[in-house]
Amino acid sequence: MNAPAFDVRASGAAVAGRAAKAGLRFALAGGRTELVRQHVPYPFHVTRPFRLDRARPEIATLYLQSASGGLYRGDDLSLDLSLGAGAVAHVTTQASTLVHESRGAPSRQAVRIAAAPGSRLLYTPDPMILMPGAAYEGRTRIALADGAAAIVSEGVFAHDPAGAGRPFAHFMLETEMVDAAGRVVACDRGGLAGADFAAAASPLGPYRAYGALFLFAGGAADAPRLPAALPGELARLGLFAALSALPNGAGESLRILAPDGGRLAEGLAHAAMRAFEALFGVAPAPRRK
Amino acid sequence: MRHLLLAFQHADSAFPSGSFAFSNGVEGVAAAGARLDPAGLGLLLDQILRHRWASFDRIALARAHRAAPDLGALAALDAEIEAASLCAPLRDGSRRNAAALLAAHLRIGTPGAEDLRAAMRAGSLRGHLAVVQGFLWRALGLDEPAALAMSAYGAAMGAVTAAVRLGAIGAIAAQPVLAEALRRAADLAEAPVPAAARLAAFLPFVEIAAARNEAADLRLFAS
Repeated sequence: MNAPAFDVRASGAAVAGRAAKAGLRFALAGGRTELVRQHVPYPFHVTRPFRLDRARPEIATLYLQSASGGLYRGDDLSLDLSLGAGAVAHVTTQASTLVHESRGAPSRQAVRIAAAPGSRLLYTPDPMILMPGAAYEGRTRIALADGAAAIVSEGVFAHDPAGAGRPFAHFMLETEMVDAAGRVVACDRGGLAGADFAAAASPLGPYRAYGALFLFAGGAADAPRLPAALPGELARLGLFAALSALPNGAGESLRILAPDGGRLAEGLAHAAMRAFEALFGVAPAPRRK
Repeated sequence: MRHLLLAFQHADSAFPSGSFAFSNGVEGVAAAGARLDPAGLGLLLDQILRHRWASFDRIALARAHRAAPDLGALAALDAEIEAASLCAPLRDGSRRNAAALLAAHLRIGTPGAEDLRAAMRAGSLRGHLAVVQGFLWRALGLDEPAALAMSAYGAAMGAVTAAVRLGAIGAIAAQPVLAEALRRAADLAEAPVPAAARLAAFLPFVEIAAARNEAADLRLFAS
């Protein structure tokens, strides 16, 4: 698993209630996807777009970084990702994000994706690490034009560095896909209290880390598909996973359960690689983190 | 007393609701190797009731019961249920079970059942189980608490019956498990449902098991 990014405030001197809105716009220009607009206030930080894939040099790969060591109580961060017609991009993070103790003020993160016709986005953030007392609410809204496709992943697991058995407070994840007509065609909404996460009656069964990957593509005949072999590949990594068709022909979901955060990160990285192939038609060059 | 007996009639497993064909993931969980002995079945029921029934099915049913017989409002709720049901076998199972329930009510002449069928045939709503139950049970004169109790009973009893039919537990051994589940369901059913309550569920182990089981060659249940 990738080491989470820490800074001095990770020790507990939290700054409460930061509100920040970031925006990135990709557009196809001269046969390459360029980052044509960026608004990246603190605590967001992004790398420049990389051209990592020789077979598809038009793909821009960009890493989101946290300048602050994670999410703190009351944080309300949002990120708008928009893709112009035909743009192709892979947006990921450099490491997992720590969610620190919230003391009654949940940390919120919203991602809004707008994809124009023919554009393709792979958005694969590393899993969120929920510290004792952390409350996290993550919302992702994907608006696809006809002929666009997006794959997004999510993941959560708990980390209790003191080993004191203190659970996180709660998490809530909402991922919504809106079609070209503005209709919500798929909406995955669910959450859990920390006390239930590792309880005997945990909805994770015997597993302790949760992830998902959603392929949103509408019902076109040439829409990308996730490989049917993917759950079997993940089973060989010790994960419990299944593919399922989304409602309204919106695409597919892959749900993943893992024994721990490390195995979840490994599984999500594998699923992201296979998703890249599905979306862009070539295997990805190695992504260094 | 009349309402209580009416609720018994429509919640009873002898009523031809079609629910016997659906395990709602229990078969998949058993196929995944989970033990469904009294302790294991109790844990599974706890998951199903707290992390799906209470936050999703209960909300959907209460909202459907309040919206009935307004077919336009029910269609909007039905579309919301469809979009929020990500696990394909459970989503399909909800619609198929609802179709079977409606078929029985058409045969016995429940008021409004023909209107609901016409709306479904016209494509204005797909007909998920909570919507069809809310519409029909209200049409019979059952109030919201009764409808919620019937739904809770159906969720708990359906899972227990599936485990018994799968041979995972005996009918006698299952009774204390069911009794405990019903106590929990009663507590969950009594929480108020705000008008703007949204549908949420977090049941990944059961949903993954159900999705994997969908591809199994030999199955006893449709979901």
